[in-house]
Amino acid sequence: MTDVVLRVNGRERKASVPPETTLLQLLREHLGLTGSKLGCDVGDCGACTVIVDGKAVNSCLMLAGQVDGREVLTIEGLATRDRLHPIQRAFEERASLQCGFCGPGSIMSAKALLDENLDPTPQEIRDALAGNLCRCTGYTKMIEAIQDAARELRTEKSARTAP
Amino acid sequence: MPDTFETKKQEKTVVTDVPREAGVDLRLPAVVPAVPYPIETLVPQVNQQTPAVGQRVTRPDGRMHGLGQTKYIDDMSFPGMLHAKIKRAGIASARIVRIDTSAAEAMPGVMAVVTGRDIPVNSFGPSYQDQPVLADERVFHAGDGVAAVAALTEQIALDALEKVKVEYEPLPAVFDPVEALQESSHKVHGTDTNVYAKKTIRKGDVERGFAQADHVFENRFSTQMVEHVSLEPHAAIADWDANGRVTIWCTIGRITLARGDMARTLKHPMSRIRMVGTVVGGNFGGKNEITQEPVLALLSKKTGRPVKGVYSRGEEFTSTTTRHPIIMDYKTGVTKDGKIIARKVRLVLDGGAYCSWSETTLGKAAILSAGPYNIENLDVEAYVVYTNKTMTGAMRGFGAPQVCFAYESHMDDIAKALGIDPLEIRLRNAFGEGSASPTGQVLHSVVVKESLLKAAERFGWKEGRS
Repeated sequence: MTDVVLRVNGRERKASVPPETTLLQLLREHLGLTGSKLGCDVGDCGACTVIVDGKAVNSCLMLAGQVDGREVLTIEGLATRDRLHPIQRAFEERASLQCGFCGPGSIMSAKALLDENLDPTPQEIRDALAGNLCRCTGYTKMIEAIQDAARELRTEKSARTAP
Repeated sequence: MPDTFETKKQEKTVVTDVPREAGVDLRLPAVVPAVPYPIETLVPQVNQQTPAVGQRVTRPDGRMHGLGQTKYIDDMSFPGMLHAKIKRAGIASARIVRIDTSAAEAMPGVMAVVTGRDIPVNSFGPSYQDQPVLADERVFHAGDGVAAVAALTEQIALDALEKVKVEYEPLPAVFDPVEALQESSHKVHGTDTNVYAKKTIRKGDVERGFAQADHVFENRFSTQMVEHVSLEPHAAIADWDANGRVTIWCTIGRITLARGDMARTLKHPMSRIRMVGTVVGGNFGGKNEITQEPVLALLSKKTGRPVKGVYSRGEEFTSTTTRHPIIMDYKTGVTKDGKIIARKVRLVLDGGAYCSWSETTLGKAAILSAGPYNIENLDVEAYVVYTNKTMTGAMRGFGAPQVCFAYESHMDDIAKALGIDPLEIRLRNAFGEGSASPTGQVLHSVVVKESLLKAAERFGWKEGRS
């Protein structure tokens, strides 16, 4: 068994798992966080995307042992007690998700992008979503939603930094 | 009337913008939008624009999706739940000589193993019941399941599959649909012919039409097999309780039909079967019939515990239905000004190993194969044949996209050869108000020409070509 101690959505979590356990399995089966989805298990579809130390990763390709001591953010960690994350709200308002299975992964990819770049071009958004497949083919509305969210986050940021 | 709509919309928006505090993290905002009383129903008058047009709407499930709170099958679990995996044949055509499951059954953590012989009635299908739940005596395609294991973890189940020993006697196989049509070809199901459904449409006299035509064009088009690749794999959970009541949580789109198939394959009263359709992570036609559900039910019966089965992405490609590859022969007679006066179409649909929704697809492909064009003389013959490949079934369009690719490509070829603008040749032939379809259905609200002209204007068809 492999012992891992990591921070998930800001809280310290411990688990003892078989060594072949992936980060996705750790989250879904051991920590009860089923928001990240298993679509292909080989890193093609991006439904399992989470953020590890600020970078979007396919959690099906990362072993649980590799996240020992690291910081993981999942879809469950975005909304606060009081409100949806601007990306989640924009996805809802734009009806960007159809069957919804790719949603958590796409939103996490968008989050990783906006954490680094609050004013992405449509091409940069497309690049950020390149690893997230949507078979309902709703990319356009996702891109629009991410632009909306970026706009809102920029406004929030300037309100915070204003004197 | 639009005013009322506005009011309702606003109330909803207020709630969306300021989610209120709910007791628990991640379950918010659990506030149901206020319902204005009395409830007003918006019924648009005939030929009047509905007030819904131009309004922004959100999806009722959008918030749960975005929060990652939607519970798909794989997100559910029950106390004591086991995980099932199915062993795939990996050989396209064979007789099963023997299956030895003893080594797998002896493995620690393995709770039950079933094979095709354990299935009470081992056949199902929406049109013809030609598909086994698990192959018992014969394997008809490489993705056929031959045995299933329920174990404490998915990993143990996968390891146990390696220990299931199956001895095969390889048999001849056929993979090409045109070859499968021939009398000398291997007969997949041992019947006289591999053709299992045929559709013919005849209108006017096609030979006389060709004789009168100024030009006759012939071409063959073919399309490939396509898998739906819904992001959520096929998944189900079965729970057979001590009273003989079975509950199946499944992603099937047609659960009533599936319930009938469950009753048949399990030889179990339908009143004792409860199907729970959950949120589906993409269907596209690929989840319209049972797959592993009877197997999970039997494993649950054997173990007395709930059993979950989730297909791997590989199984999605080899063992679930796909879109029909079609070989399409077109022969079209036209006058020198581009009017189609005769068309002969021959379609061969590759049905794979089992019928599934092939009959439905065949019908639709045949009816639509002439295109949205007025053609006096028409002769369509369409066949669907068995081959030793993954079965083909329903997929968005039911055969329509394949024939559309063929007749529109053919139309472009004709336009080019005659030196007529591709848009113009379509306008000369397209359906209008009151046109009849090849099968005699009189069509109303036909706006093919208007749509074409509007689209051409919007994307600058003329400008792009000058």
